[in-house]
Amino acid sequence: MTRAAAAAGVLLLMLAPPLLTGNQFFLHLGITVLLWTLLGVAWNLLGGFAGQVSFGHAAFFGVGAYTTMILYLKGGLAPWYGMILGGLVAVLVSLPIGLICFRLRGPYFSLSTLAVAEIVRLVALNWEGLTDGPVGLLITTLPQVSLGGRAVNWESKVPFYYIIATLAALAMAATWRLSRARLGAYLLAIREDEDAAEAVGIDTVRAKVVTLALSAFFTGLGGGFYGLYYRYVDPDAVFPIALSVEMVFIAVVGGLATVVGPVIGAVFLTTIGELFRERFLVGHLIFYGLFMMLAIRYLPEGIWGGARRAWTGRR
Amino acid sequence: MALLTVTDLTKDFGGLRAVAHFSFAVEPGEILGLIGPNGAGKTTVFNLITGFLRPTSGQILLEGRSVVGLRPHAVTRRGIARTFQLVKPFPKLSVRENVTLAAFSRLPARRDAEAEAGRMLESVGLADKLESPAADLTLAEQKRLEMARALATRPKLLLLDEPMGGLNPREVDQASALVKRIRDDGVTVVLVEHVMKAIMRISDRVVVIHHGEKIADDAPDRVVRDPGVIAAYLGTRVA
Amino acid sequence: METLLQSIVSGVLTGSLYAMIGVGLTVVFGVMRIINLAHGDLVMLGMYGAFWAHVLWRVDPFVSIVLWVPLMFLGGMVVYRFLLRAIIPGGELNTLLYTAGLSLLIANLALFTWTGDYRTIKLPYAVTPLRPFGIAVPIPLAIAFALAILITLALYVFLARTDVGRAIRATSQNPEAAALMGIDVERISMVTFGLGAALAGASGVLLGPSLYLYPTVGEILIAKCFVIVVLGGLGSVVGAIAGGLLLGLVESLGAVYVSVAYKDTIGFVIFLLVLRFRPSGLFGVGKS
Repeated sequence: MTRAAAAAGVLLLMLAPPLLTGNQFFLHLGITVLLWTLLGVAWNLLGGFAGQVSFGHAAFFGVGAYTTMILYLKGGLAPWYGMILGGLVAVLVSLPIGLICFRLRGPYFSLSTLAVAEIVRLVALNWEGLTDGPVGLLITTLPQVSLGGRAVNWESKVPFYYIIATLAALAMAATWRLSRARLGAYLLAIREDEDAAEAVGIDTVRAKVVTLALSAFFTGLGGGFYGLYYRYVDPDAVFPIALSVEMVFIAVVGGLATVVGPVIGAVFLTTIGELFRERFLVGHLIFYGLFMMLAIRYLPEGIWGGARRAWTGRR
Repeated sequence: MALLTVTDLTKDFGGLRAVAHFSFAVEPGEILGLIGPNGAGKTTVFNLITGFLRPTSGQILLEGRSVVGLRPHAVTRRGIARTFQLVKPFPKLSVRENVTLAAFSRLPARRDAEAEAGRMLESVGLADKLESPAADLTLAEQKRLEMARALATRPKLLLLDEPMGGLNPREVDQASALVKRIRDDGVTVVLVEHVMKAIMRISDRVVVIHHGEKIADDAPDRVVRDPGVIAAYLGTRVA
Repeated sequence: METLLQSIVSGVLTGSLYAMIGVGLTVVFGVMRIINLAHGDLVMLGMYGAFWAHVLWRVDPFVSIVLWVPLMFLGGMVVYRFLLRAIIPGGELNTLLYTAGLSLLIANLALFTWTGDYRTIKLPYAVTPLRPFGIAVPIPLAIAFALAILITLALYVFLARTDVGRAIRATSQNPEAAALMGIDVERISMVTFGLGAALAGASGVLLGPSLYLYPTVGEILIAKCFVIVVLGGLGSVVGAIAGGLLLGLVESLGAVYVSVAYKDTIGFVIFLLVLRFRPSGLFGVGKS
């Protein structure tokens, strides 16, 4: 009951802003926060629950973004379908990555994901026939859509806001579902001790590959949305290591292996970052680095984990 | 027919031969002790049987079917469960959740798995610790937790790697009684142990491994008198 | 034939600098089991150090090394003592995440203060390369190569001959035993981290005149650095030197004989293969 109320409350909070303000900056801020919520939540599926710290999720983001753009520009496919296909292509890309990287554990896994993401970035940079290389891909207009008899105004930020709010809510719902399913329990076991997990009959490779695929799907959707919203992608924008690292930070600072943690992380870090960027243009990740260090040192369970512990009283 | 038949098992690590043409069989319903000096290859044999390591050569049959090449979780699902020499609980998870995870291998529904976990924990005497994080248990309790976890997969064969190592004499007695009861409940047991007195008392048969090779395979009272075993391992002071 | 020689020479020259970056990372890993993700950003600081020394004080960038190396050494010790030390007991992943935070912090502070503009250090003697036997050797790279060899040799002597050096090697091989033998592991860790930072700074100064400078260059350098140390076996100094030279050669030969565009990819593919099949490194000297 309280859970349903909480879920309804969160949903309302997510959907309300466009009704309250027409201010383009605040809407842009909301969209950015929700995009990073989606990415943080997606990363948390694998990194938080299963304890597999990936430094390579930009690969899925970039693949999702490029798939959406390429299908629209070269195949004429409407980007909202392209976005879903982008998620699915990210899943396809995730399978070989999982099979290669999941052989490794701990920091070695992290380094291998970073290498794989760099390989994907370099391929995108150099496969000019498909991606136009460093020049990037640009969409000038989005196709006409009408909703309830009215044409959707793509020049306004409101439709984008609702699209990304829906995606973020879906990712949160998936996390909630996972945390209650057997797979969620398996992932926690894998995080605690992989050998012991195997010994009690858990197919750890399968659990990790499935979770990576789910995580890649949502990350790819996020990439597709990015293409749609900014109408421009290039390898530096959608494949950098820093992008992978931001996803990690949002989840860790917010609180790992929880539904709400990455949301808090995204709201907190993205808001600070965007306000800083609005004022100074560059260097907004200073705070990401700083809060990451503070969190690891003083709040290893993240903001949400710490708050929850304070709420239930110290054990 | 033997429950487990190991034939000509060999494992090389680089240039080092850890297990050499090792053969033994486990009969249903027995408690088999596997002993040998430090570094003799006991744990390696367990790791080979349970799929954590792949043999260089040799055969491992459970009820006539090979388990070589299966990954550990698949071996567990075939009916071989194990505990670890250095305990490996899921430290942050509750005692109940530790065992529930193992029960999932046969009981997909959480309610059934939790009920099963409760029964297993009751039988090893941890019923009053269900909600504690596993990390908070004493070593003896963690060893019992690992046994409950292994039993929750409903194994035919249970491999115990030093279930009494590091325990005090009273805890050793309790652990011995528990191992016997597990056998009486129909689970065949192989145990690796350093606590000689206990292993001699509860084992029906003892296999001695030295430098990766089998040097004896007999009833406990005969093994302790075997000159080769005494020379290799037991020395002159035998309990 | 000439192309082959030329790419081998370029490969070795660049590789020697890669090796130095790798050695800094691997020494720290050896002693503390830390994979310092901020290592590339420390190199970046060295590059900017050389740049500002040249622009503001008209000091030859290579001369500025005598200032930056001790400063980076001290800075490294301070970072270890006041930031990292408390994190290390939390485990490898926590340290990895922490240094990732440090990396982002340093890179973005640099971006904030020095902007994202690409810069170059313009040296009068960089215009015409030396041409021994018809092979082009840029003078700044040649100087950097010579200094890199000198510094690496000095490091080798330090590790082999001095008490502190021997203590570092002992701790690297077995921290518990080292502690039992009366080595102050805390102090050795602090010195080692300083040493790693100093090496990063030195490589930055040496690389400065040969590369474009921008605040996030550390990202690419750290990725290369992983390739180097994994090739050589994490924790092994000799391995890192071999790995650095190997990567330099692979890149320059790959650029000529495979494809300029994919020269960086080759390194990463080798990296993955080595991680997967030989996690202790190609030369079997590292610890996995």
